Amino acid sequence: MKKVLILIYFISLISLIYANSQKEESNALSSSIKITPEIKKKYPLKHSHNKLSLDCIFCHVGQGVNPENFEAVDEDKCLFCHKSKIYLAKRLEFMDTLKANPHNSVHDGPNLYCDECHREHKPSVNMCSECHLKEIKNNIWMKDTP
Amino acid sequence: MAKITRRNFFKLGAVGAGMLALGNNVNASAIDSKKVKYDEEYDVVIIGSGYAALSAGITAAKKGDKVLLVEKMGRIGGNSVINGGLLAVVNSPKQKVEGVQDSIDLYMEDSMKAGRYINHPDLLKVIGKRGNDALKLVEECGAKFYDKLSHLGGHSVPRTYLAANGSGSGIVLPMFDYIEKLPNVTVKRRTKFDDFILEGDRVIGITAREKYKFDSKLKDDDFENKSGTKKYFKAKKGVILASGGFSCDTFYRTQQDPKIPADADSTNQPGATAGVLLKAFELGAVPVHVSWIQFGPWACPDEKGFGAASNFNINASFRYGISVNAKTGKRYMNELADRRTRATAMFKLVNDNKNYPINICDQVAVDKIIPDIAEKALKAGVVKKYNSIDELAAAYGIPVAELKQTIGKYNDYVKAGQDPDFGKPVDKTDGVLIAKAPFYGTKGVPKLHHTMGGLKINTKAQVISSYTKAPIPGLYAAGEITGGTHGASRLGSCSIPDCLVFGMVAGENI
Repeated sequence: MKKVLILIYFISLISLIYANSQKEESNALSSSIKITPEIKKKYPLKHSHNKLSLDCIFCHVGQGVNPENFEAVDEDKCLFCHKSKIYLAKRLEFMDTLKANPHNSVHDGPNLYCDECHREHKPSVNMCSECHLKEIKNNIWMKDTP
Repeated sequence: MAKITRRNFFKLGAVGAGMLALGNNVNASAIDSKKVKYDEEYDVVIIGSGYAALSAGITAAKKGDKVLLVEKMGRIGGNSVINGGLLAVVNSPKQKVEGVQDSIDLYMEDSMKAGRYINHPDLLKVIGKRGNDALKLVEECGAKFYDKLSHLGGHSVPRTYLAANGSGSGIVLPMFDYIEKLPNVTVKRRTKFDDFILEGDRVIGITAREKYKFDSKLKDDDFENKSGTKKYFKAKKGVILASGGFSCDTFYRTQQDPKIPADADSTNQPGATAGVLLKAFELGAVPVHVSWIQFGPWACPDEKGFGAASNFNINASFRYGISVNAKTGKRYMNELADRRTRATAMFKLVNDNKNYPINICDQVAVDKIIPDIAEKALKAGVVKKYNSIDELAAAYGIPVAELKQTIGKYNDYVKAGQDPDFGKPVDKTDGVLIAKAPFYGTKGVPKLHHTMGGLKINTKAQVISSYTKAPIPGLYAAGEITGGTHGASRLGSCSIPDCLVFGMVAGENI
């Protein structure tokens, strides 16, 4: 089952890159879900994901064809492209002015779920601001969560 | 008697519920094991993932038990990863190095005094006796500590270890890494305990919801949040409750102390609610001291939660400096008194039109603490640096002549080793004066920090029943969900050893 999923991801990734290069909205695997302007408005994508023309089932694989019934996905879907939290932490070391690197922080190490802060279809939040409001507000550590 | 719904059960509060339950079917709400088909089976199921849960889990797993930890939040460790990482140990190796004379009796006397002598001494003694075992456990997991002992308010002598990274996570993260590598331990996050499963009167499992997601926007997440998929977990040897306190449960805490405003800030993580505690009360556990709720006196009104100022005040301003009334420039309390004494004194000022007290120390004080702590607090802008006392006084609107007089008087007290005004133990503050520029100032406010009360346990961490007066078979508890150990108010750095020791004791005895 896992292998099949990986294969589907691989195919869809290739097709997405292809679709993107062709500057087309549609791709082979989206035939069953018609992405109407309403759906796009209701479930907007992050800028970078939008640029890649990611389709619903890129993340919501195996969840049927009705976006209304989709469930939040596990973080392995995020990490399929974004590798690992340690990898992200290394890339974002420049943020680590006071051990505040959110992907490997002094409090949580690399143990936080992506969606503690990052949200795909609604504005992201900064979980650190539960206690560190000042540091976030003053942009001492980091800018808005992408 | 009125019909008991879940809703009005909660409204009754702990004592009312206990009395009500006495006249009713004891285990009305728990689930009968015969009617259950288990999804997974374990020897030990632990609710929570902080110090107490990890200590219990590691100890039980080392005995060979198959262990499950369920944590409702996405984060591991609850409050245990966001506190100051301070751990008091009696007769510790560092005390030997620093030549500190300590004893279990002295530790107990300090704790009893702060606890207004309503502490349960038998439980306190267990912490005093086994602190070194808990220290060994976390050091074996890889926890590292700062070289020097800290001296916290209310303690007669320095006995406090400080995690090397200045946070409780310096203890929890190594413990979590350790437990994750054990083959017989499973940790499930975003998994919410719902109810006990009983076999006769014995706790034999739990129901929980996987893929549950805490929603801080809900007024009462425990009651309103229906997310997740129901599962049945067997706990052949029993269940250990290590789910913490209820400082963020706005309804329940106000029932216990109506003086606490709904919007009062807390140092706790948002998941610190009373849900598990109330389920244990439903099962008949004895409620102890539930209405004693502690405020941390070292917080800052310029930021939310524990923030960056708290650890600065704990380690620098209160030990090596003073706290003054901004209106008068005078001291108003013993900066090293127990938390309740300090919080009460501070609220007297704060309640006067938010006249926040100002905590002050000098460069010598700051040089004595972990540089990280000061750097973080300064960068956050909650602690501020001033070149002179005049500058500091002007910034906070403190009458400067009075402030200078106060500082002069305090310095004399330090030199004499005695504070006749408030009884601060200035003989144990390393002779640090307020003299060397730059000077550091912080606005102070007490914040909701620790719920003293909870479940009654015995020295084996077994939860005691109101009905049988004996342990509830298969039910153990450790950490902030328990009550009585520290009485009305606990001393700083005494919760971590409580959690670690009783977690260990629960793991040993289950």
